[in-house]
Amino acid sequence: MRNATEAVATPILQMWKSLVAAIAILAVGGPALAASATNKDAETRTLVVTEGGGKTELALAAGETAEFCPTGCFVTMPNGDLEALTGSETIEISGGVARIK
Amino acid sequence: MLFRLLHFVLVLAIVASAPLSIDAAAQGLDQAVSGVVADQQKILQDLTTRTDNLEKKIQEDGDDDASLVDIRLQLEEMSRGALNSALAFRPRLSEINARLDQLGAPPAAGQPPEPDIVTSERQALASEKAEINAVIAAAQNLSIRISGLIAKIANMRSELFRNLLTKRYVLSDALSPEVISDANDEFTGFYKAVSSWLAFAFRFKFQAVLAATLMALSLAAVLFVGGRRLFGRVFEADPSIEDPSYLSRLSVAFWSTLLPTLAVGAFLVSTVFFFNYYNVLRGDIGVFLNALVALIAVVFCVNRLANAALEPRLPNWRLIPVETGPARWLVRLTTAMAVVIGVNNFLSVVNDKMGSPLSLTIARSFVATIVVGIILILMGLLKPFKAADGSWRPWPAWLRYTAVAIGLFTIATALLGYIGLAIFVSLQVVVTGTILVTAYIGFLSARAISEEGGFANTSIGRWLSTNSSYEESALDQLGLVVSVAINLMIVLVFLPLILLMWGFQPGDIQAWGYKLATGLTIGSVTISVTGILTGIIVFIIGYFLTRWFQGWLDGSVMARGKVDTGVRNSIRLAVGYAGVALAALVGVSAAGIDLSNLALVAGALSLGIGFGLQNVVSNFVSGLILLAERPFKVGDWIVAGDISGTVKKISVRATEIETFQRQSVILPNSNLINNAVGNWTHRNKLGRIDIKVGVAYGSDVKQAHAVLLEIARGHPLVLKNPEPFVLFTNFGAAALEFEIRVFLADVMNGNIVQNDIRFAVLDEFADQHIEIPSAPRAVVETKKHEAWPIDDDKIEVDFAEHEQAKAEAVAETKRLARSGRRTRKPDPD
Repeated sequence: MRNATEAVATPILQMWKSLVAAIAILAVGGPALAASATNKDAETRTLVVTEGGGKTELALAAGETAEFCPTGCFVTMPNGDLEALTGSETIEISGGVARIK
Repeated sequence: MLFRLLHFVLVLAIVASAPLSIDAAAQGLDQAVSGVVADQQKILQDLTTRTDNLEKKIQEDGDDDASLVDIRLQLEEMSRGALNSALAFRPRLSEINARLDQLGAPPAAGQPPEPDIVTSERQALASEKAEINAVIAAAQNLSIRISGLIAKIANMRSELFRNLLTKRYVLSDALSPEVISDANDEFTGFYKAVSSWLAFAFRFKFQAVLAATLMALSLAAVLFVGGRRLFGRVFEADPSIEDPSYLSRLSVAFWSTLLPTLAVGAFLVSTVFFFNYYNVLRGDIGVFLNALVALIAVVFCVNRLANAALEPRLPNWRLIPVETGPARWLVRLTTAMAVVIGVNNFLSVVNDKMGSPLSLTIARSFVATIVVGIILILMGLLKPFKAADGSWRPWPAWLRYTAVAIGLFTIATALLGYIGLAIFVSLQVVVTGTILVTAYIGFLSARAISEEGGFANTSIGRWLSTNSSYEESALDQLGLVVSVAINLMIVLVFLPLILLMWGFQPGDIQAWGYKLATGLTIGSVTISVTGILTGIIVFIIGYFLTRWFQGWLDGSVMARGKVDTGVRNSIRLAVGYAGVALAALVGVSAAGIDLSNLALVAGALSLGIGFGLQNVVSNFVSGLILLAERPFKVGDWIVAGDISGTVKKISVRATEIETFQRQSVILPNSNLINNAVGNWTHRNKLGRIDIKVGVAYGSDVKQAHAVLLEIARGHPLVLKNPEPFVLFTNFGAAALEFEIRVFLADVMNGNIVQNDIRFAVLDEFADQHIEIPSAPRAVVETKKHEAWPIDDDKIEVDFAEHEQAKAEAVAETKRLARSGRRTRKPDPD
């Protein structure tokens, strides 16, 4: 009986393994490991990102989502607020105000 | 303008006249907040001061590579510190923003004025926000400055390396007679320093010196003796073995280099450590001792390696098949080279500390590089092999030319005055060469282990095959794992060593390690090795926990509770699925992968299910239902549509059924759920078989009935209850038709019982003179004679084939009879 259950269990485990591997690959390819900013306003908003010794302007068109800052940076929000990011946050801009989640 | 001024005055007045209680509350708030601000300001101030110091240090130590790397590491840490201190404001900032949202915008000119309390709170919040923004801006500026400094360090270091290699010295100055007197002075100075230290050590610290030396010695002895006990057979060449295998020669070479070097290294390092610990060292002696330790370690390691690979005393164990004489010379030459480079290195430390003139340094390096060059050329020109006719043969051309070319290059650069380059090259030849050769031997032995049967022939493999139940193939797979592990170890140990030799500093490697561990960014994707490894380890632990829990539940709890095997099977499988799924989820989140991303994956999957995976999913769900509902279990005899057989395996997608002709049928689970499935052995194996018997008209029907009933009752496998029954079914066209209906405890025995009963019926009817009619068929005999054969040859060939087939059939039956096949009970059809 024991052998029989093992015989049943093995292919299931193999299937699980391949499924998990597939999901893992897909998930690693996803955007989880950088900060992302979404502009929900109807007009273009600009973030100023300070990263690695240089300042860059990140212009977001209406409805656009961008990823940036994978290892920590400073960001100047559209309303002039300055914030530090570790690189895992999600920023949402609506009504000219940015919120960090 | 006037309006604004008025507005400002108004605001001021309102603030001043605001009730006292609000003021107090606001003050309390202010204090708490200014606490965070003040803390972070202090931290940033501290970081800024440290950055200033480091910037000064960069200017001072601009010509010291190691110190620059150290500064860079500190700067990177401070950059993280600045970011963290800015992060500390995040909760307060979001609080302020939320509160400002609640308060709303100040009323426009035409609108009714808002209460004073709201206005004052808004202003307090705004000013606090401005304060926080100022601190974060300071952190940002600091971070920019630090990044600039790090970039500057990178530039300085590459500049340093270029300078080292391309600087040219004037040799005529360095090689004047003055050098000899300089050297003499320096030697005197060195001698004085060492002898005064020795005198001091013996007079005041004698016991400490003794204790330190003894401790270091005992540590090394433990390592060496223990190592010899543990691995003795592995790393000692046995002269009595005539023809040791390539693998054992390799492993002896590898381990007999590595283990003694490690032991000596441990001795040297612990000596320095204990001397430091007991404060025996004084002044520059510590630096000298370190240099001496490096010298001894390098010379020892090179000598061991040369001896291990060339084995001048044991020709059988030689890795490279050179002759004994040249082998001895090669060992001497390599050791000499290591001594020259090591001594040169040691003297450079002494020169540095004694503040000796540049000419002395140049002269010393010049001599060392020329010697190394000459040794290299000598090694290249050596003729190590003997041809069949007894004449000596040189190295292969590429090796010979490379050695001579490097030797000539070293001498030429030294003669032209590029001493830095010459020293660099000769140092690389000795140290990188040693490391590469050791690593190469390790790689070769890993390859030899991974070959078929390679691991089984090692001592560990032999031990395993005698002391455990591992099969040959399992050992082979284990060998593969071992070889992969050895390769990995070689890369992990030797790659950093080589990088160190090629001018990278420990700090560089540390920084890379840090980057690799926390995440390597490629585009927008960050891959963190530790994260993935943690995930895998967590999953493996979860998987084994599940297996253990499954086994415990099945073997201890359910077996003792006498749970039905079908239920046991289902519970076991369900627990297995749940556990593995849980382990996978925990592992995925431990790997740092956001589980919310799985929603995306699930969305993609659901689309796929809609189109292509419909069948697979339906079968999967059916499999789960089969496990829950348990209409049949493994070992049952089922009939599903046209297929009848024993269930062998229930998997998630399909169920494997073995028919009685031993054909495996893979039936999708949805078929078994959606269609009728007959199960002969669902609750029990009880079953009925029917046997038809015809009796001739005119026989004694009562007697026939009695006889049939008697036979059915008499069979040992037929159940007494339900009772066997003989049914008089029909007045048939040719016979009176009876049917014997008997119940069996195990319906799998049906064929045996049917056979027995039919034989018994025939015998009994013959005794009792009861006729079994057979419907006669008319036989029509044709009088036509066969056509005359036309092709005699063809008939002859056909006849021969027929005879041969007959003979083969006879042989086959005999062979089967001889092989003594296990008699099995016949299958029920």
